[in-house]
Amino acid sequence: MSNPTHTPMRTPLGRVRGLGASHTGTEHFFLQRVTGLANLLLMIAFIVIVIRLAGASYAETRAVLGQPLVAVIILLTLLSVTVHMRLGMQVVIEDYVHTEGLKVALIIANTFFTIAIALAGAFAVLKISLGG
Amino acid sequence: MADTATNEAAAPSKLGAAYPIEDHTYDVLVVGAGGAGLRAVVGCSEAGLRTACITKVFPTRSHTVAAQGGVAASLGNMGDDRWEWHMYDTVKGSDWLGDQDAIEYLVRNAPAAVYELEHWGVPFSRTEDGKIYQRPFGGMTTHFGKGTAQRTCAAADRTGHAMLHTLYGAALKHKAEFFVEYFAIDLIMDEEGKCRGVVALKLDDGTIHRFRAHLTVLATGGYGRAYFSATSAHTCTGDGGGMVLRAGLPLQDMEFVQFHPTGIYGSGCLITEGARGEGGYLTNSEGERFMERYAPSAKDLASRDVVSRSITMEIREGRGVGKNKDHAFLHLDHLDPAILHERLPGISESARIFAGVDVTREPIPILPTVHYNMGGIPTNYFGEVLDKRKGDPDTVVPGLMAIGEAACVSVHGANRLGSNSLIDLVVFGRAAGLRAAELVKPGEKHSPLPENSAELALSRLDAARYAKGSTPTAELRLKMQKVMQNNCAVFRTGEVLEEGKTLIHEVFDHASDIGVSDRGLIWNSDLMETLEFENLIGQAVVTMESAANRKESRGAHAREDYPDRDDANWMKHTLAYFDSKTGAVRLDDRPVHTYTLTNDIQYIEPRKRVY
Amino acid sequence: MAEFTLPKNSQITTGKVWPKPAGAKKLTEFRIYRWNPDDGRNPRIDTYYVDREDCGPMVLDGLIYIKNKIDPTLTFRRSCREGVCGSCAMNIGGTNTLACTKGMDEVLVKGVVNVYPLPHMPVVKDLVPDLTRFYAQHASIEPWLQTDTAAPEKEWRQSKEDREQLDGLYECILCACCSTSCPSYWWNGDRYLGPAALLQATRWLKDSRDERTGARLDNLEDPFRLYRCHTIMNCAQACPKSLNPAKAIAEVKKMMVERHI
Repeated sequence: MSNPTHTPMRTPLGRVRGLGASHTGTEHFFLQRVTGLANLLLMIAFIVIVIRLAGASYAETRAVLGQPLVAVIILLTLLSVTVHMRLGMQVVIEDYVHTEGLKVALIIANTFFTIAIALAGAFAVLKISLGG
Repeated sequence: MADTATNEAAAPSKLGAAYPIEDHTYDVLVVGAGGAGLRAVVGCSEAGLRTACITKVFPTRSHTVAAQGGVAASLGNMGDDRWEWHMYDTVKGSDWLGDQDAIEYLVRNAPAAVYELEHWGVPFSRTEDGKIYQRPFGGMTTHFGKGTAQRTCAAADRTGHAMLHTLYGAALKHKAEFFVEYFAIDLIMDEEGKCRGVVALKLDDGTIHRFRAHLTVLATGGYGRAYFSATSAHTCTGDGGGMVLRAGLPLQDMEFVQFHPTGIYGSGCLITEGARGEGGYLTNSEGERFMERYAPSAKDLASRDVVSRSITMEIREGRGVGKNKDHAFLHLDHLDPAILHERLPGISESARIFAGVDVTREPIPILPTVHYNMGGIPTNYFGEVLDKRKGDPDTVVPGLMAIGEAACVSVHGANRLGSNSLIDLVVFGRAAGLRAAELVKPGEKHSPLPENSAELALSRLDAARYAKGSTPTAELRLKMQKVMQNNCAVFRTGEVLEEGKTLIHEVFDHASDIGVSDRGLIWNSDLMETLEFENLIGQAVVTMESAANRKESRGAHAREDYPDRDDANWMKHTLAYFDSKTGAVRLDDRPVHTYTLTNDIQYIEPRKRVY
Repeated sequence: MAEFTLPKNSQITTGKVWPKPAGAKKLTEFRIYRWNPDDGRNPRIDTYYVDREDCGPMVLDGLIYIKNKIDPTLTFRRSCREGVCGSCAMNIGGTNTLACTKGMDEVLVKGVVNVYPLPHMPVVKDLVPDLTRFYAQHASIEPWLQTDTAAPEKEWRQSKEDREQLDGLYECILCACCSTSCPSYWWNGDRYLGPAALLQATRWLKDSRDERTGARLDNLEDPFRLYRCHTIMNCAQACPKSLNPAKAIAEVKKMMVERHI
């Protein structure tokens, strides 16, 4: 189905059926909503933390981030945001990119990018929190 | 896609070069994809016959979609009901012109046909115990005219829509082969008078297609657009009837044109009889429920011809409503808005859009409007087309069938009862499928087509395409519609009909001066409308001539100069043959079948028709 | 990537201004998209004037007036003229709708009725789009009742409440106004079934008589077939029968989640 010009003799129904239903998508759909909801709650907590740290010194900030609850909230936020970002970005790529190779490459890049962001963030938080 | 087996016969020389032909061969060819056509397609496909359905509009756009009120069958879901009562009502409704063998076939097969539709998925409205909801309808009674029957199975007021979409789905399920937006130009008849198929124009690329089949089933609908104001769709141009006339075959009972009592004043859009079935009533300028005077027992649920005449009388006698006192009111404002919402949502919407009326508060302005053609291609109850040859009025035309509004079986006789048309579609659509299975063996060998089998169609197409006259098709069509509306309406007199004959022949003669502007072949709707006009005008002429000929009043044919039914002289079907070159009409007749199908019921003797 | 440069033949040119009908007092201006596959020229916008005193109130009345009295070559589909057959769907005044139920005065933009074919469909001629794929999408959802239990002698029983579930779904007339107004369908119409087919699918999913609900859901569960719906809601805005395909699609998604958790 990537290049419909290659199948001009195909019947309309054949073209519509294409490669068939993949029986996926629901988890993606559901997880996007779940992370959306999680983002909403976690971002509130995250913003509260940021506001409390406004004007704080480096040492104070490290101390706050060293608290287990704060660290866990930030880690959860990172996880939820990056998962949500990956899912959302994938939909955008699927919507707009119609060249099959480029699409797959972008989806892989999107995955790499979000995982890298998530791990880099997590590493930073853990480093501060565990006082490394 | 379609098989394009080469045909042994050569394409016509002269026009063949200009119009290359693609050939198709099938066991059965159905022309038209309304309720009857689709039901026949399903039946033939089920029987293992290789079936093609050609249609000038996508199936769900056929005019069956606009049927509102329901489909009649004596299911007895709302109280006691029997097929004998349905038969009596239909015979009485037909003013005894219906063939009682065919009527018995119709009403006895009706319940099974409705259950079958339900099994295919029609979303019928329901009763409290989950059965199909049935509503009262005009002329439908119990105990042979004594009570009011609730016999009309309804899917709110969108029954035709629900049926047509479901039938289309059923056809898809059976992998039926559709040729959508193909316009059938003419039949292919061979030397022995057998129908061998159809020549059609594919609209989206302008190519010509010749369909060869053992059996051609015409399900092309009525010709309501011969009139100026009709509930019929723009596409109701009686293409099957036109083709049959050009093939030298007769049309039957064409003088019987049903006026629906409640077309919206102005636009002509339909307001279902089900509106009166649910309790609606008509009033005149004095606010009087005048139907009580004309039909003391059935009142607003009298037969359609009776109600249409009553409205016309009220208007004539100065009791019409509106600025020009030229229409009447239909009241629904006394009904519970919840009932209107549940059972009549579609007409509530139509009344708002086309009359600017809120049905819960105001009456709907209505006027009798051309709605249905009882006449059509004569057939027996198997759907086989009949001709009168060598004195035999029931000679079967081999290879040709007709069903639905295009046909005249005749179950509706001189006047059709509301909701009997939808049942006609499915019962006789099914019958045609069953008959096809008997007549044709799947894959049976085809003999070669006659030479120049496409000549009639192509010469007509070519002539219309390059018509250089000075009168546009639309102008001529309008003239025809005005003549039919003025001279062949609810009430008729000899004088008006004779004048109508002169006028309609003038329109026919004028057709030699027709002018077409679009010379293309791809989706040339100017050309298509011209071909449709040619179909319409033939039927308009025979309608006028048949009406002038019948000197009695029966059903929808009301002659003021002959106000009574005359069984001694006119208990017979009119046959009309048409010379498409000269416009000359030859009239003949066929006896009405005064016998039933089985001994389970006796012939219902004519008596005075009072509602 | 999405194509941002248009092919040459899609550049719309200014067309002919047809003469005003003689003696008309009240005129409405129509600007109509014209394209004739036979003449090899680019699409153009023709201007016509409709005599309102000689014409019904609907846009379709205006188009028929033009075809009958000014330019018989103007090409469009029409049939029932009362909003049930779905033939005359087109883009009028910037919105997809039925020409037969839309009053001219409702769609005036600076006094002009602008008429284009349904967007993002191949055009056959003038206002006639090619709906082949749209119909195939409808067929692909298998629009017929599917049961394995032996059919009863009479009707399948269905409660009034269960029948009510079909209201707002079965009334669809397949006019394609919704699908062709949906940006997601514009972008991915080859794989996304579109609001009309999904509404039809919901009509069978919700039918208490149907026994293949699971198989129907299987057939839809796909990131493209179903989940390209981003609840943009253009479908519900456009539907001339006041149906809400977006809501129907949301119902399907809900059923999908329901069978997963």
